[in-house]
Amino acid sequence: MAASGAPGSLADPGAPGSGPDIVSGSSARLTFPHAVRWLRRILGVVPFAVYVTLGLLLPMVAVTIGAFEKDNGGFTLSNVNAATHGIYLHGFWQSIILSAVSSVVPAILGLILAYAIFTAKRGNVLRQVTITASGVFANFGGVPLAFLFIASLGSTGLLTHWLQNIGIDLYAHGFTLYSLIGVIVVYFYFQIPLMVLVILPALEGLRPAWREAAENMGARSWDYWRFVGGPVLLPAFLGCVLLLFGSALSAYATAEALTNGTIPLTAIQIGSFLNGNVIAGQENVGKALGLGMVIIIAIAMLIYTVLQRRVAKWLR
Amino acid sequence: MTANITGNTARDATAADGTRQTAGTRGTSVVLHDLSRAFGATKALDGLSIDMAPGELVALLGPSGCGKTTALRIVAGFEIADTGSVLVDGKDISSVPAAKRDMGMVFQSYSLFPNMTALDNVAFGLRMRKIGTGDRRKRANELLEMVGLAPQAKQYPHQLSGGQQQRVALARALAIEPRVLLLDEPLSALDAKVRLQLREQIRTLQQRLGTTTLFVTHDQEEALSMADRVGVMSHGKLEQIAAPDELYDKPATAFVAEFVGIMNRVPGELHSGGTVTALDKTVPVMNQDADVSPGPADVLVRPEGLTMAVIENGNGIVATRTFLGSVTRVGVLLSGDVTVQVDKPSTDAAALAPGTSVQVTLPPEPVLVAPRR
Amino acid sequence: MAAIADTQVVPAPPRRTARPRADRGAVWRWVVLLVAAVYFLLPLLVAFRFAGIKSFGSVLSQSGFTSSLGLSVRLAIVTTVIEIVLMLPTAIYIHLRLPGLRRLMEGITILPIVIPPVVLIVGVLQISPGALKNTPYLLALEYVILAMPFAYRAIDAGLRALDLKTIVEASNSLGAGWLNTLMRVLLPNLTTGVLAAVVLTVALVLGEYTMASLALYQTFPVWIYVNSQYSGQISVAASLLSLLVTWLFLMAITMIGTRRSRRKGGGAVTLFTATRQETRGN
Repeated sequence: MAASGAPGSLADPGAPGSGPDIVSGSSARLTFPHAVRWLRRILGVVPFAVYVTLGLLLPMVAVTIGAFEKDNGGFTLSNVNAATHGIYLHGFWQSIILSAVSSVVPAILGLILAYAIFTAKRGNVLRQVTITASGVFANFGGVPLAFLFIASLGSTGLLTHWLQNIGIDLYAHGFTLYSLIGVIVVYFYFQIPLMVLVILPALEGLRPAWREAAENMGARSWDYWRFVGGPVLLPAFLGCVLLLFGSALSAYATAEALTNGTIPLTAIQIGSFLNGNVIAGQENVGKALGLGMVIIIAIAMLIYTVLQRRVAKWLR
Repeated sequence: MTANITGNTARDATAADGTRQTAGTRGTSVVLHDLSRAFGATKALDGLSIDMAPGELVALLGPSGCGKTTALRIVAGFEIADTGSVLVDGKDISSVPAAKRDMGMVFQSYSLFPNMTALDNVAFGLRMRKIGTGDRRKRANELLEMVGLAPQAKQYPHQLSGGQQQRVALARALAIEPRVLLLDEPLSALDAKVRLQLREQIRTLQQRLGTTTLFVTHDQEEALSMADRVGVMSHGKLEQIAAPDELYDKPATAFVAEFVGIMNRVPGELHSGGTVTALDKTVPVMNQDADVSPGPADVLVRPEGLTMAVIENGNGIVATRTFLGSVTRVGVLLSGDVTVQVDKPSTDAAALAPGTSVQVTLPPEPVLVAPRR
Repeated sequence: MAAIADTQVVPAPPRRTARPRADRGAVWRWVVLLVAAVYFLLPLLVAFRFAGIKSFGSVLSQSGFTSSLGLSVRLAIVTTVIEIVLMLPTAIYIHLRLPGLRRLMEGITILPIVIPPVVLIVGVLQISPGALKNTPYLLALEYVILAMPFAYRAIDAGLRALDLKTIVEASNSLGAGWLNTLMRVLLPNLTTGVLAAVVLTVALVLGEYTMASLALYQTFPVWIYVNSQYSGQISVAASLLSLLVTWLFLMAITMIGTRRSRRKGGGAVTLFTATRQETRGN
């Protein structure tokens, strides 16, 4: 990755302050000694690359190929066809809606929470507690989480009961934990902490000098956020939304434990294929579903990386 | 008197090229009155008082931790003093929020808004004052011209070098025609060469516009070359505030003497009656009120103040020679393991090989004394 | 001295001036934190009530508890070891020799968060050789991938707080080879980052359900689920326990980390960030 423009010129983005983010030394040219030097430099990451290939890429490739295979080998589009119709299509839509809501709303809430933590004056202990808690909660999903909520807000949950005692009957108003809404509420529990964790570095990139300079120029709080803070934070924020989207889309255990498959969600549908509840001749539809998920997420990831790059440039 | 770009009719009319009528009876006076500020147990500021005349550039000079930046930030409104007040044109602004103080500030580094071009950065203050887009752009361009960066108007901060960024920051601070200009070590993060150029540029601009300016730095050369007066600070207190030459020739305390320029310390004997004997010579004492009692004391004298002559069996031996251009700094080892630096014109110093015996004497003028170290 | 005869200066009596603007936001901040605390802590408290004190005792004696917990712990250890051995040198290498690839690394290490474990396990089961499929340690190998985002970020944060290039060069110039540099210079300075990575990996393994259940191994979370069909209360108690233990672990790490970092003049240490201490102004 060569720097654009000669080093030292105005066009060299590495100029102000921070170390240049370029591969030290000349860019790889295709002459023999250079190729050898380049190869030797890459050597250090080979173990990692191998591991990721074997553990991540190959399984994905296997799934992709499997999506187009007939049960006894041979190419077919029937799996993909089945995956994009009927109950599976419905599953995709439900999953996307679920993920969209469980990403945008927690993103906003998470940002507010992160900002509250970040700007707390005497905040060090508070900050540490909240960040460790976020680290724990972001990983806390699946079955234990589902049980926690069933115990609290399920139809016979304690919290439901307490609320009934003071006159608020959730279930009478149509709420049920075992619906899409319920799943969304439960998802907040790990989505918000994930947001807090991921947006904090971006918040720390907001230099106090900008805030002070803005104030010095006569800006009020609102002006600062509108003209400086917001625009600088926006790409990171959007990136986090996409990250949360991916995270919600791939969540399996929580939804499974809560709904037992009563709501069509792609992740759960894939799971049922592994559990063996399949119609003969459709064994590979699960893989087609998997491929679909990966495609959706790949698009989201692409947008995420592009946005992050833009943010990094500004915050340098 | 026409309203200038910021709509403030109470100010001077500005000539077409942006210069103001010279300070004279107008411009802003700034008074720091008895400012104190403590952070926990440490006293960052201890009763600082400074009267700044309209159009004056006052530099606050001192080592890290002396309180100079705290003082500046209090004037800007980013810190609140525990006691004391800040008066601008006679009015107490201590309770005025930073955004309404009408002061332009240049920070140490990287304070430009990263998401805006240089032009938009400079125009930002005007935007906050609700100036229309056309006028804003025009004024911002004028200022970028003034700092020599008109071609870079459409560039983003990360595309500019450190020196360029600080020039844009300066333009931004000046765009709002502030009553007071505040500079917080603006040159510290820059290369030596860029620093020198920017120094001149800031001083020229400041004089042209007649803006009262408070400049904080730890670099004494910077302070001495740029300021009308320099205030030397230590541990939150103002040791001395005076014009640069007075600071150098007549330092009020040993701290100032040693912080500004190079000082030799020569052991001597202080007599009651205001004289001191060192290097076999008795001279009057300059700082009579110093905290030294008669007896052993150190005499402080500049390298160019000592006289030196080549003599057989003198009181010292030439140890080192440091070539500084037109002047050579000669290190002389005296008896008692004391070394002094004496400045000599380089042509003369050529004859002083290490090992040469010399006689070093005090000048016949009053000298500073300090407690024996 | 400049004449200021024109201006009438009335020295103000020494007094405390107006509260800084920042404090006015304090109310809003506490409201937000309070609401957050309620949302996150209430279900825990309620679940605690639901489970009842007795359940916590019975958890330990339930059948399958020890074997599933034992399996999870073994998996956690294997995963953690592989994770650190893989990610630590890689992270150091990237920082040192290939800083241009940092963005790419950050991108790659984000992938496991968004790739559905569900899909991953399908692929893994397909391509694994039979021998591997028959041991639960297949899960450990995949858990390394799942934990990558957290482990990498924790180590990366630790690396960012160092001036890596300089201390490595200093160490080399004094005669230390790579291994010595790693063991004596880098590791001691990276303990917090590595510890955080370890704890996050352990937390992940102890809580991972999806892949384990679909690969048909009874790890601790799987046991909780299966057992819930017999006793909801005990399952909830077990869930709470694992949550508590993980949280205590992380808190301990962060506090130890901060104390060590402060001693060396650094700032507070959090899981993914290590700030430099703000120097008080002059």
